[in-house]
Amino acid sequence: MKVKSIEVRREEIKMTHLKSLPLAALFMLTAVLPAVAQDMLIKDAKVVTNTAAGIIENGDILVRDGKILEIGENVSAPSGVNVMDGTGKWVTPGLFVPFSRVGLVEISAEASTNDVSASEANTSVSNRAADSFNPKSPVIGNTRIEGITHVVSVPGTGKNIFGGIGLIANTSGSFESIKNPESFVFVSLGERGAGTAGGSRAAALNQLRGALDDAGAYPSRFKGPEDGDALSRRDAAALFSAARGQIPIFIGADRAVDLLNIIKLKKDYGLDVIVVGAAEGWMVADDLKAAGIKVMVDPQENLPASFDMVGARLDNVVLLDKAGVDYAIMTRSADLTHNVRVLSQHAGNAVSAGLSWDKAFAAITATPARWFKTKSGSLNKGEAASFVVWDGDPLQVTTGALSVYIDGQSQEMRSRQSALRDRYNPKNIDKLPHKYR
Amino acid sequence: MTLQKLALLSAAAIALASCGSAENNKDNKTEASDKAAAFASTYQPMPSETTFITNAFIIDGAGGEIENGSILITNGRITAIGSNISGSDDAVTIDAGGKYVTPGIIDIHSHLGNYPSPSIRAHGDGNEITSPVTSEVFAEHGVWPQDPGFDEALEGGITTLHILPGSANLFGGRGVTLRNVAARTVQAMKFPGAPYTLKMACGENPKRVYGNKGGPGSRMGNVAGYRENWIKAAEYKAKRDKGGDDFKRNLQLETLADVLDGEILVQMHCYRADEMAQILDIAKEFDYKVTTFHHAIEAYKIGDLLAQSGTCAAMWADWYGFKMEAYDTIRENVPFVHAAGACAMIHSDDDLGIQRLNQEVAKTWADGNRAGLNISRAEAWKWLTYNPAKALGILEETGSLEVGKRADIVLWSEEPFSTYARPEKVMIDGALAFDKASGFKPTSDFRLGQVYEGQVDRSSAGGN
Repeated sequence: MKVKSIEVRREEIKMTHLKSLPLAALFMLTAVLPAVAQDMLIKDAKVVTNTAAGIIENGDILVRDGKILEIGENVSAPSGVNVMDGTGKWVTPGLFVPFSRVGLVEISAEASTNDVSASEANTSVSNRAADSFNPKSPVIGNTRIEGITHVVSVPGTGKNIFGGIGLIANTSGSFESIKNPESFVFVSLGERGAGTAGGSRAAALNQLRGALDDAGAYPSRFKGPEDGDALSRRDAAALFSAARGQIPIFIGADRAVDLLNIIKLKKDYGLDVIVVGAAEGWMVADDLKAAGIKVMVDPQENLPASFDMVGARLDNVVLLDKAGVDYAIMTRSADLTHNVRVLSQHAGNAVSAGLSWDKAFAAITATPARWFKTKSGSLNKGEAASFVVWDGDPLQVTTGALSVYIDGQSQEMRSRQSALRDRYNPKNIDKLPHKYR
Repeated sequence: MTLQKLALLSAAAIALASCGSAENNKDNKTEASDKAAAFASTYQPMPSETTFITNAFIIDGAGGEIENGSILITNGRITAIGSNISGSDDAVTIDAGGKYVTPGIIDIHSHLGNYPSPSIRAHGDGNEITSPVTSEVFAEHGVWPQDPGFDEALEGGITTLHILPGSANLFGGRGVTLRNVAARTVQAMKFPGAPYTLKMACGENPKRVYGNKGGPGSRMGNVAGYRENWIKAAEYKAKRDKGGDDFKRNLQLETLADVLDGEILVQMHCYRADEMAQILDIAKEFDYKVTTFHHAIEAYKIGDLLAQSGTCAAMWADWYGFKMEAYDTIRENVPFVHAAGACAMIHSDDDLGIQRLNQEVAKTWADGNRAGLNISRAEAWKWLTYNPAKALGILEETGSLEVGKRADIVLWSEEPFSTYARPEKVMIDGALAFDKASGFKPTSDFRLGQVYEGQVDRSSAGGN
């Protein structure tokens, strides 16, 4: 297969299709689409390495047997390797969504298709999102073809402040796409936590401290399954690693004073905390930095959406950056499932609020990759590559992904949405009823 | 209906009323409009100076671009625009330095004010979820002018916006078109002369909300509900047209009869292609027009039908999947509808999305062209201003930069289809409403004394 066809695949595979091609030929075309390890050399692209090599303006990248064989300037093509002209194109590590419900829900409003939360379940921390995750959800294809290669999927809270255990996955859609099924524990404080804990912030924090004590004293405290202060034996066991700082604990919170309480909590228990939200983080940025707390922020949140967020401002992420806080960018205000592909738009808006391009881009690639140990955040010689070829600056809303590689595998650039697009494209002059197109 | 025609109608009505004619339909309508005048617009533009914007890259909103163009603004209106015009001696000159100038953005689907921030229970004033037919309610009566969202939308270049009741009901109530100006009352925001609209809703929402409350409980019930009420409206209209002592006003039917008279524009929440086609048939049956389908997730499947009926579609760039009828969107929805010859536009339905509608258009425009279309940037800009103005019946007043129109203008920091572009100046009726450089901007009462006002130093922020 000629490499050239990769870059035009998205536009042309089905657009030009049935005008002249018999059905059999169409099947042949789609048959080559699934993930394959493909040898190729991309020449003269703008290569964002996220390593000490920085951005290579006229960069070449040679991929062979799924690994980056060479990366730099003036790389020559071994015989038999296809060469793609990268002029005007960008090559970057794949985008990494640090907080989502991807794979856990098909239609948000249809409870039968929505495995985010288990509001009637008696188990909480021990619910694993990995056991709900569906790698074949069309949402994943729709997400992948926009240049997102990795997602964190987070279970929501049910009867109490605990959502359960979340996962890291790539967007390949394969049954092996979960990279870490027990990556972190999710907890909600703030307004939401107060609601699920029975009605107050005090109850929520008390429940969390009780649960950490239970997990810290597990298993000795549990003579019977219900012997914990806050958790059952099963849930206390599930919190064991997070309670000892061995895996991160995600804590949802926005109000500045809640963030200060979380800092105390981290000190008392030695936790590895990632705050989700931190809309008022700018007010306590120095404290967050000093405490080594990581945060996920949405740089488009600037309204007092709740009384936890009256201090929300567009340059929150800029102020957190100035204080030296370790942060990733998320899409909470827009969508967490079907439209997490706006991640690059959110990072772009962080740039327009004053963050440097490099930092904004790191916050949707290298930073989450470092936090979740996926190796996908940078382009290194000798490593299996997860990268995207773009037709321009990936933070520009007008830019599109031309091809996507995950762990060295060339990815299918067709999704349910692109199939609908091609069927109904005004350029599709097929006269048969749409269902035949 | 044009604003001029509206103005003529009301002038005629006043004349008739003053001469005491007891006769015909006009009288009853007069009574109705006099009652409605209780909420008449009191909008007054902020004071403006004669202004000459020069050295600008103008995207005029009507499909044209002028490189190195100028605009002369006199008394809040555009009095000249082109590449070869001169200012006047008394004009304040703004040298755009080659930056982009566009019409102010119009959002045809917003709930600012009726679902304001903070989003708490007490602020839920957008849906009258008490009956599937509530055409008697007015969105403006639930609009809180202190919603901080208005101020942030202004910083995103929004100069006009249309506030709708929610989509729980078959007939949700009247929508209102507002100037995005700092005001203490909603009357002072109302776009002078803009026609009222009627919010209607298809599909999942009404049947979900009323399925266990007497119906409708299915799409069949939805359609029966529309038709039953249009029959009532036609009867009411006939009585109103006839006049006489036994005619009694009914707020619910008055709104529907005004639709049948072509004075109120139907703005209908509808996702699925097959449902939109059925609604167009109902409109034929009862001889009214659906001005715009809102959300219209599947509009791209029936672009030809929309073009034939002259019905617009207001869409998102990429939001989907939150319910079954929103499953089938494509990122090229807007450009595909446009390419079919129908009137397409963007909308937000969101208090953050409204702050960057230029980016939403940029996304869908680029995706459409990647799919093989060849739509110019200037043409795509119509989705932000010209087409929503048309669908709101205010095109003769705003929506493009043309002589005679209100000077609703945005000066951008860079090319406005860039993610990095932000409005630097926003003018409404020729008056500067937002100026990034000087920090001139409105601030809601709600923000005062809150940490938002505060400084980065936490010791001094809030707590006062």
